Amino acid sequence: MPEVRLHPNTDALLDYSAGSLSPAQAVAISAHLFYCPGCQAKTRTLNAIGGNLLANTEAVSVAVDCLSDVMAQLDTVDTALPEKREINNAAPQGDRWKNLPPLVKGLVRDSGISWRHLSSSLRVARLPVGERRFELALHQIKAGGSAPAHDHRGLEITVVLHGSFSDDEGVYHQGDYITREPGHIHTPVATANTECVCLSVLEAPIRLVGRFSRLFNPFLSFMPV
Amino acid sequence: MIAASNKMSFDANKVVMLAEARSDNWSQLLMKVGADRDKAAFAVLFDHFAPLLKGFLMKGSALGPERAEELAQETMIKVWRKADSFNASKASASTWIYTIARNCRIDWLRREAKSSRDIEAEDIYDFGDENPSFNSLVQMRNRDKIRENLAFLPPEQLEVLAKIYFEGKTHSEVSLELGLPLGTVKSRIRLALNRLQVRMTAAEARQDA
Repeated sequence: MPEVRLHPNTDALLDYSAGSLSPAQAVAISAHLFYCPGCQAKTRTLNAIGGNLLANTEAVSVAVDCLSDVMAQLDTVDTALPEKREINNAAPQGDRWKNLPPLVKGLVRDSGISWRHLSSSLRVARLPVGERRFELALHQIKAGGSAPAHDHRGLEITVVLHGSFSDDEGVYHQGDYITREPGHIHTPVATANTECVCLSVLEAPIRLVGRFSRLFNPFLSFMPV
Repeated sequence: MIAASNKMSFDANKVVMLAEARSDNWSQLLMKVGADRDKAAFAVLFDHFAPLLKGFLMKGSALGPERAEELAQETMIKVWRKADSFNASKASASTWIYTIARNCRIDWLRREAKSSRDIEAEDIYDFGDENPSFNSLVQMRNRDKIRENLAFLPPEQLEVLAKIYFEGKTHSEVSLELGLPLGTVKSRIRLALNRLQVRMTAAEARQDA
Protein backbone atom coordinates (compact mmCIF):
# COMPACT_ATOMS: atom_id res chain seq x y z
CA MET A 1 0.00 0.00 0.00
CA PRO A 2 1.59 3.33 -1.01
CA GLU A 3 2.00 5.88 1.72
CA VAL A 4 -0.90 8.24 2.23
CA ARG A 5 0.06 11.72 1.05
CA LEU A 6 -2.77 14.03 2.03
CA HIS A 7 -3.73 14.37 5.66
CA PRO A 8 -6.24 16.25 7.75
CA ASN A 9 -4.63 19.25 9.44
CA THR A 10 -3.73 19.14 13.11
CA ASP A 11 -6.70 21.30 14.08
CA ALA A 12 -9.07 18.75 12.57
CA LEU A 13 -7.37 15.88 14.43
CA LEU A 14 -7.52 17.90 17.64
CA ASP A 15 -11.26 18.50 17.20
CA TYR A 16 -11.67 14.80 16.45
CA SER A 17 -9.82 13.83 19.60
CA ALA A 18 -11.76 16.35 21.68
CA GLY A 19 -15.05 15.10 20.25
CA SER A 20 -16.31 18.32 18.72
CA LEU A 21 -16.58 17.28 15.08
CA SER A 22 -19.94 16.48 13.57
CA PRO A 23 -20.53 12.72 13.10
CA ALA A 24 -19.99 12.82 9.31
CA GLN A 25 -16.69 14.71 9.68
CA ALA A 26 -15.57 12.28 12.38
CA VAL A 27 -16.34 9.33 10.09
CA ALA A 28 -14.12 10.88 7.40
CA ILE A 29 -11.24 11.27 9.88
CA SER A 30 -11.70 7.69 11.16
CA ALA A 31 -11.62 6.44 7.57
CA HIS A 32 -8.37 8.30 6.91
CA LEU A 33 -6.84 7.03 10.16
CA PHE A 34 -7.54 3.46 9.08
CA TYR A 35 -5.05 3.96 6.23
CA CYS A 36 -2.58 6.29 7.95
CA PRO A 37 -0.32 5.08 10.79
CA GLY A 38 1.23 8.55 11.09
CA CYS A 39 -2.06 10.24 11.86
CA GLN A 40 -3.00 7.34 14.15
CA ALA A 41 0.09 8.06 16.25
CA LYS A 42 -0.74 11.75 16.28
CA THR A 43 -4.30 11.02 17.36
CA ARG A 44 -3.05 8.82 20.18
CA THR A 45 -0.87 11.69 21.36
CA LEU A 46 -3.84 14.06 21.20
CA ASN A 47 -5.95 11.54 23.12
CA ALA A 48 -3.17 11.31 25.69
CA ILE A 49 -3.41 15.08 26.20
CA GLY A 50 -7.11 14.57 26.97
CA GLY A 51 -6.21 11.69 29.30
CA ASN A 52 -3.68 13.81 31.15
CA LEU A 53 -6.13 16.70 31.47
CA LEU A 54 -8.63 14.22 32.93
CA ALA A 55 -6.04 12.81 35.33
CA ASN A 56 -5.11 16.32 36.52
CA THR A 57 -8.60 17.72 36.76
CA GLU A 58 -10.14 18.72 40.04
CA ALA A 59 -12.16 15.80 41.40
CA VAL A 60 -15.75 16.48 42.40
CA SER A 61 -17.09 13.96 44.88
CA VAL A 62 -19.94 11.77 43.73
CA ALA A 63 -23.05 10.76 45.71
CA VAL A 64 -22.56 8.12 48.42
CA ASP A 65 -24.64 5.53 46.59
CA CYS A 66 -23.04 6.23 43.21
CA LEU A 67 -20.70 3.25 43.40
CA SER A 68 -23.27 0.79 44.77
CA ASP A 69 -25.64 1.95 42.03
CA VAL A 70 -23.12 1.07 39.39
CA MET A 71 -22.00 -2.18 41.08
CA ALA A 72 -25.62 -3.35 41.12
CA GLN A 73 -25.76 -2.87 37.36
CA LEU A 74 -22.56 -4.68 36.45
CA ASP A 75 -24.01 -8.20 36.28
CA THR A 76 -27.04 -7.09 34.35
CA VAL A 77 -24.99 -5.15 31.81
CA ASP A 78 -22.88 -8.24 31.29
CA THR A 79 -25.90 -10.27 30.29
CA ALA A 80 -28.09 -7.54 28.85
CA LEU A 81 -25.34 -6.27 26.58
CA PRO A 82 -26.85 -6.01 23.13
CA GLU A 83 -25.12 -8.27 20.64
CA LYS A 84 -22.11 -6.36 19.45
CA ARG A 85 -22.75 -5.77 15.81
CA GLU A 86 -20.54 -8.00 13.78
CA ILE A 87 -19.34 -5.37 11.42
CA ASN A 88 -17.64 -7.69 8.99
CA ASN A 89 -20.58 -10.03 8.66
CA ALA A 90 -22.63 -9.56 5.60
CA ALA A 91 -20.30 -6.84 4.42
CA PRO A 92 -20.68 -6.27 0.72
CA GLN A 93 -18.54 -8.53 -1.41
CA GLY A 94 -16.22 -7.70 -4.26
CA ASP A 95 -12.89 -6.02 -4.88
CA ARG A 96 -13.92 -2.52 -4.12
CA TRP A 97 -14.95 -3.46 -0.58
CA LYS A 98 -11.84 -5.40 0.30
CA ASN A 99 -9.68 -2.92 2.16
CA LEU A 100 -12.37 -0.67 3.54
CA PRO A 101 -12.38 0.70 7.09
CA PRO A 102 -14.64 -1.54 9.25
CA LEU A 103 -16.65 1.55 10.16
CA VAL A 104 -17.52 2.20 6.50
CA LYS A 105 -18.33 -1.48 5.93
CA GLY A 106 -20.65 -1.31 8.92
CA LEU A 107 -22.40 1.80 7.61
CA VAL A 108 -22.82 0.24 4.19
CA ARG A 109 -24.18 -2.95 5.68
CA ASP A 110 -26.56 -1.18 8.06
CA SER A 111 -28.04 1.20 5.56
CA GLY A 112 -27.92 -1.18 2.64
CA ILE A 113 -26.36 0.39 -0.34
CA SER A 114 -28.65 2.12 -2.74
CA TRP A 115 -26.80 3.69 -5.61
CA ARG A 116 -28.19 6.54 -7.58
CA HIS A 117 -26.73 7.47 -10.94
CA LEU A 118 -25.69 11.07 -11.37
CA SER A 119 -24.21 10.48 -14.79
CA SER A 120 -23.19 7.47 -16.88
CA SER A 121 -19.92 7.14 -14.98
CA LEU A 122 -20.75 8.49 -11.54
CA ARG A 123 -23.07 7.11 -8.89
CA VAL A 124 -23.69 8.01 -5.30
CA ALA A 125 -25.07 6.31 -2.19
CA ARG A 126 -25.94 8.20 0.97
CA LEU A 127 -24.82 6.88 4.33
CA PRO A 128 -27.08 8.06 7.11
CA VAL A 129 -25.32 9.18 10.29
CA GLY A 130 -28.19 11.16 11.77
CA GLU A 131 -27.28 14.76 11.18
CA ARG A 132 -28.34 17.62 8.96
CA ARG A 133 -25.39 19.88 8.57
CA PHE A 134 -23.18 17.46 6.69
CA GLU A 135 -24.11 14.66 4.38
CA LEU A 136 -22.03 11.54 4.21
CA ALA A 137 -21.96 9.52 0.99
CA LEU A 138 -20.01 7.14 -1.15
CA HIS A 139 -19.18 8.26 -4.66
CA GLN A 140 -18.13 5.79 -7.28
CA ILE A 141 -16.53 6.77 -10.58
CA LYS A 142 -16.16 4.12 -13.29
CA ALA A 143 -12.63 3.28 -14.43
CA GLY A 144 -11.53 6.12 -16.67
CA GLY A 145 -14.82 7.89 -16.16
CA SER A 146 -15.17 11.43 -14.95
CA ALA A 147 -17.50 13.12 -12.55
CA PRO A 148 -19.31 16.13 -13.92
CA ALA A 149 -17.61 19.44 -13.19
CA HIS A 150 -19.09 20.74 -9.99
CA ASP A 151 -18.66 23.51 -7.55
CA HIS A 152 -19.18 23.40 -3.84
CA ARG A 153 -21.81 25.24 -1.96
CA GLY A 154 -20.15 24.19 1.24
CA LEU A 155 -17.05 22.43 2.46
CA GLU A 156 -16.32 19.09 0.81
CA ILE A 157 -14.09 16.42 2.30
CA THR A 158 -13.14 13.38 0.24
CA VAL A 159 -11.32 10.26 1.41
CA VAL A 160 -10.23 7.82 -1.30
CA LEU A 161 -11.26 4.28 -0.31
CA HIS A 162 -10.49 2.35 -3.45
CA GLY A 163 -8.68 3.07 -6.71
CA SER A 164 -7.53 6.57 -7.46
CA PHE A 165 -8.67 9.72 -9.19
CA SER A 166 -7.19 12.95 -10.38
CA ASP A 167 -8.27 16.50 -10.99
CA ASP A 168 -6.48 19.63 -12.11
CA GLU A 169 -4.56 19.72 -8.82
CA GLY A 170 -3.17 16.23 -8.59
CA VAL A 171 -3.65 12.48 -8.31
CA TYR A 172 -5.23 11.01 -5.18
CA HIS A 173 -4.74 7.52 -3.84
CA GLN A 174 -6.20 5.27 -1.19
CA GLY A 175 -6.40 6.99 2.19
CA ASP A 176 -5.79 10.52 0.89
CA TYR A 177 -7.87 13.12 2.71
CA ILE A 178 -8.82 15.98 0.43
CA THR A 179 -10.49 19.19 1.55
CA ARG A 180 -12.20 21.52 -0.88
CA GLU A 181 -13.43 24.93 0.15
CA PRO A 182 -16.77 26.32 -1.02
CA GLY A 183 -16.61 27.81 -4.48
CA HIS A 184 -13.90 25.49 -5.73
CA ILE A 185 -14.71 23.99 -9.11
CA HIS A 186 -13.13 20.75 -10.21
CA THR A 187 -13.63 17.74 -12.45
CA PRO A 188 -12.50 14.48 -10.86
CA VAL A 189 -11.46 11.71 -13.26
CA ALA A 190 -10.93 8.10 -12.18
CA THR A 191 -7.72 6.33 -13.16
CA ALA A 192 -8.08 4.39 -16.40
CA ASN A 193 -7.75 0.83 -15.12
CA THR A 194 -9.77 0.81 -11.90
CA GLU A 195 -12.93 2.34 -10.68
CA CYS A 196 -12.65 4.78 -7.80
CA VAL A 197 -14.70 4.74 -4.62
CA CYS A 198 -14.58 7.74 -2.30
CA LEU A 199 -16.17 8.67 0.95
CA SER A 200 -17.39 12.22 0.87
CA VAL A 201 -18.68 14.68 3.37
CA LEU A 202 -20.61 17.59 1.98
CA GLU A 203 -21.75 20.57 3.91
CA ALA A 204 -25.44 20.80 3.23
CA PRO A 205 -26.50 23.98 1.49
CA ILE A 206 -29.34 26.07 2.79
CA ARG A 207 -32.46 24.09 2.19
CA LEU A 208 -35.22 25.75 0.24
CA VAL A 209 -38.76 24.50 0.23
CA GLY A 210 -41.17 24.45 -2.63
CA ARG A 211 -40.58 23.64 -6.22
CA PHE A 212 -36.89 24.50 -6.14
CA SER A 213 -36.04 22.30 -3.18
CA ARG A 214 -34.92 19.47 -5.42
CA LEU A 215 -32.20 21.66 -6.85
CA PHE A 216 -30.72 22.16 -3.46
CA ASN A 217 -30.10 18.58 -2.62
CA PRO A 218 -26.30 18.69 -2.58
CA PHE A 219 -26.00 15.56 -4.67
CA LEU A 220 -28.02 17.19 -7.36
CA SER A 221 -25.83 20.24 -7.26
CA PHE A 222 -23.50 18.61 -9.77
CA MET A 223 -23.73 20.60 -12.92
CA PRO A 224 -24.26 18.47 -16.00
CA VAL A 225 -21.38 18.76 -18.44
CA MET B 1 27.29 -13.19 16.50
CA ILE B 2 28.16 -10.05 18.37
CA ALA B 3 25.62 -8.12 16.41
CA ALA B 4 23.02 -10.74 17.24
CA SER B 5 23.68 -10.66 20.98
CA ASN B 6 23.65 -6.86 20.96
CA LYS B 7 20.32 -6.99 19.34
CA MET B 8 19.08 -9.37 22.01
CA SER B 9 20.20 -7.18 24.85
CA PHE B 10 18.54 -4.21 23.17
CA ASP B 11 15.29 -6.11 22.95
CA ALA B 12 15.55 -7.18 26.59
CA ASN B 13 16.08 -3.58 27.50
CA LYS B 14 13.01 -2.61 25.56
CA VAL B 15 10.94 -5.22 27.38
CA VAL B 16 12.07 -3.83 30.74
CA MET B 17 11.24 -0.29 29.68
CA LEU B 18 7.82 -1.31 28.50
CA ALA B 19 7.16 -3.19 31.71
CA GLU B 20 8.13 -0.14 33.73
CA ALA B 21 5.99 2.16 31.71
CA ARG B 22 3.05 -0.17 32.16
CA SER B 23 3.44 -0.33 35.88
CA ASP B 24 1.18 2.69 36.13
CA ASN B 25 -1.18 1.35 38.82
CA TRP B 26 -4.41 2.35 37.18
CA SER B 27 -3.50 0.59 33.98
CA GLN B 28 -2.70 -2.58 35.91
CA LEU B 29 -5.98 -2.47 37.77
CA LEU B 30 -7.83 -1.92 34.53
CA MET B 31 -6.14 -4.94 32.99
CA LYS B 32 -7.16 -6.97 36.02
CA VAL B 33 -10.76 -5.90 35.52
CA GLY B 34 -10.53 -6.94 31.89
CA ALA B 35 -8.85 -10.29 32.49
CA ASP B 36 -10.57 -11.47 35.69
CA ARG B 37 -13.79 -9.45 35.78
CA ASP B 38 -12.46 -8.37 39.16
CA LYS B 39 -15.14 -6.27 40.89
CA ALA B 40 -12.93 -5.21 43.79
CA ALA B 41 -10.39 -3.81 41.32
CA PHE B 42 -13.23 -2.08 39.49
CA ALA B 43 -14.45 -0.46 42.71
CA VAL B 44 -10.96 0.98 43.32
CA LEU B 45 -10.89 2.35 39.78
CA PHE B 46 -14.35 3.78 40.25
CA ASP B 47 -13.42 5.59 43.45
CA HIS B 48 -10.51 7.21 41.67
CA PHE B 49 -11.98 7.98 38.26
CA ALA B 50 -15.69 8.71 38.88
CA PRO B 51 -14.97 11.99 40.77
CA LEU B 52 -12.38 12.98 38.15
CA LEU B 53 -14.88 12.28 35.37
CA LYS B 54 -17.54 14.27 37.16
CA GLY B 55 -15.15 17.19 37.59
CA PHE B 56 -13.98 16.89 34.00
CA LEU B 57 -17.53 16.83 32.60
CA MET B 58 -18.75 19.70 34.78
CA LYS B 59 -15.89 22.03 34.10
CA GLY B 60 -17.33 25.14 32.53
CA SER B 61 -19.69 23.19 30.30
CA ALA B 62 -23.45 23.07 30.21
CA LEU B 63 -23.49 19.90 32.29
CA GLY B 64 -24.82 20.36 35.80
CA PRO B 65 -23.53 18.19 38.65
CA GLU B 66 -26.33 15.63 38.32
CA ARG B 67 -25.94 15.11 34.58
CA ALA B 68 -22.18 14.99 34.98
CA GLU B 69 -22.55 12.27 37.62
CA GLU B 70 -24.91 10.27 35.41
CA LEU B 71 -22.45 10.48 32.54
CA ALA B 72 -19.59 9.52 34.86
CA GLN B 73 -21.61 6.43 35.86
CA GLU B 74 -22.41 5.62 32.26
CA THR B 75 -18.72 5.96 31.41
CA MET B 76 -17.65 3.66 34.24
CA ILE B 77 -20.20 1.00 33.21
CA LYS B 78 -18.71 1.12 29.70
CA VAL B 79 -15.28 0.79 31.27
CA TRP B 80 -16.44 -2.43 32.94
CA ARG B 81 -17.97 -3.77 29.72
CA LYS B 82 -15.02 -2.94 27.51
CA ALA B 83 -12.14 -3.50 29.94
CA ASP B 84 -10.96 -6.61 28.08
CA SER B 85 -10.20 -4.49 25.02
CA PHE B 86 -7.92 -2.17 27.00
CA ASN B 87 -4.33 -2.43 25.83
CA ALA B 88 -1.80 -0.78 28.13
CA SER B 89 0.82 -0.57 25.40
CA LYS B 90 -1.42 1.73 23.37
CA ALA B 91 -2.85 4.06 25.96
CA SER B 92 -2.72 4.67 29.67
CA ALA B 93 -5.84 4.00 31.75
CA SER B 94 -6.68 7.70 31.99
CA THR B 95 -6.33 8.20 28.23
CA TRP B 96 -8.49 5.17 27.49
CA ILE B 97 -11.12 6.27 29.99
CA TYR B 98 -10.97 9.79 28.55
CA THR B 99 -11.93 8.49 25.09
CA ILE B 100 -14.85 6.52 26.55
CA ALA B 101 -16.09 9.60 28.44
CA ARG B 102 -15.74 11.68 25.28
CA ASN B 103 -17.87 9.19 23.35
CA CYS B 104 -20.50 9.12 26.12
CA ARG B 105 -20.64 12.91 26.03
CA ILE B 106 -21.05 12.96 22.25
CA ASP B 107 -23.92 10.46 22.43
CA TRP B 108 -25.54 12.37 25.27
CA LEU B 109 -25.38 15.63 23.32
CA ARG B 110 -26.93 13.93 20.32
CA ARG B 111 -29.70 12.45 22.46
CA GLU B 112 -30.36 15.94 23.84
CA ALA B 113 -30.46 17.39 20.34
CA LYS B 114 -32.99 14.64 19.52
CA SER B 115 -30.98 13.72 16.49
CA SER B 116 -31.55 10.15 15.48
CA ARG B 117 -28.69 7.99 16.55
CA ASP B 118 -28.11 5.77 13.58
CA ILE B 119 -24.63 5.18 14.82
CA GLU B 120 -22.93 5.51 18.19
CA ALA B 121 -19.84 7.57 18.87
CA GLU B 122 -18.06 4.39 19.91
CA ASP B 123 -18.40 3.09 16.35
CA ILE B 124 -17.62 6.42 14.70
CA TYR B 125 -14.40 6.77 16.64
CA ASP B 126 -13.24 3.24 15.97
CA PHE B 127 -10.55 3.53 13.35
CA GLY B 128 -9.46 -0.09 13.51
CA ASP B 129 -6.17 0.69 15.22
CA GLU B 130 -4.90 -2.85 15.43
CA ASN B 131 -1.92 -1.68 13.48
CA PRO B 132 1.05 -4.02 13.95
CA SER B 133 3.56 -1.41 12.77
CA PHE B 134 2.60 0.82 15.65
CA ASN B 135 5.65 1.61 17.76
CA SER B 136 4.65 1.43 21.39
CA LEU B 137 8.07 2.40 22.70
CA VAL B 138 7.91 5.76 20.97
CA GLN B 139 4.36 6.10 22.18
CA MET B 140 5.47 5.46 25.78
CA ARG B 141 8.10 8.16 25.59
CA ASN B 142 5.57 10.58 24.13
CA ARG B 143 3.21 9.76 26.94
CA ASP B 144 5.76 10.66 29.59
CA LYS B 145 6.71 13.84 27.74
CA ILE B 146 3.08 14.92 27.55
CA ARG B 147 2.65 14.46 31.27
CA GLU B 148 5.79 16.45 32.06
CA ASN B 149 5.24 19.20 29.51
CA LEU B 150 1.60 19.72 30.35
CA ALA B 151 2.66 20.82 33.81
CA PHE B 152 4.80 23.60 32.31
CA LEU B 153 2.36 25.03 29.77
CA PRO B 154 1.72 28.75 30.19
CA PRO B 155 -1.75 29.28 31.71
CA GLU B 156 -3.17 30.99 28.61
CA GLN B 157 -2.28 27.97 26.47
CA LEU B 158 -3.66 25.54 29.03
CA GLU B 159 -6.88 27.55 29.19
CA VAL B 160 -7.49 27.15 25.46
CA LEU B 161 -6.67 23.44 25.49
CA ALA B 162 -8.92 22.88 28.48
CA LYS B 163 -11.85 24.56 26.71
CA ILE B 164 -11.36 22.32 23.71
CA TYR B 165 -11.02 19.07 25.63
CA PHE B 166 -13.28 19.65 28.61
CA GLU B 167 -16.09 21.27 26.75
CA GLY B 168 -15.70 19.87 23.27
CA LYS B 169 -15.66 23.43 21.91
CA THR B 170 -14.55 24.26 18.40
CA HIS B 171 -11.81 26.82 17.87
CA SER B 172 -14.25 29.53 16.83
CA GLU B 173 -16.45 28.86 19.87
CA VAL B 174 -13.39 29.21 22.09
CA SER B 175 -12.46 32.46 20.38
CA LEU B 176 -15.97 33.81 20.91
CA GLU B 177 -16.07 32.76 24.54
CA LEU B 178 -12.69 34.13 25.50
CA GLY B 179 -13.15 37.25 23.38
CA LEU B 180 -9.93 36.52 21.51
CA PRO B 181 -9.30 36.71 17.76
CA LEU B 182 -9.47 33.29 16.10
CA GLY B 183 -5.84 33.66 15.02
CA THR B 184 -4.74 34.07 18.64
CA VAL B 185 -6.66 30.94 19.69
CA LYS B 186 -5.08 29.01 16.84
CA SER B 187 -1.57 30.18 17.61
CA ARG B 188 -1.98 29.30 21.31
CA ILE B 189 -3.10 25.84 20.30
CA ARG B 190 -0.17 25.54 17.91
CA LEU B 191 2.33 26.60 20.58
CA ALA B 192 0.83 24.23 23.14
CA LEU B 193 0.80 21.27 20.76
CA ASN B 194 4.39 22.00 19.76
CA ARG B 195 5.45 21.82 23.37
CA LEU B 196 3.48 18.62 23.77
CA GLN B 197 5.37 17.11 20.85
CA VAL B 198 2.48 16.83 18.44
CA ARG B 199 4.11 16.86 15.05
CA MET B 200 2.62 19.25 12.55
CA THR B 201 2.10 18.32 8.93
CA ALA B 202 4.72 19.56 6.46
CA ALA B 203 2.34 22.20 5.14
CA GLU B 204 1.65 23.53 8.62
CA ALA B 205 5.35 23.65 9.42
CA ARG B 206 5.91 25.73 6.27
CA GLN B 207 3.16 28.09 7.36
CA ASP B 208 4.84 28.60 10.71
CA ALA B 209 8.30 29.13 9.28
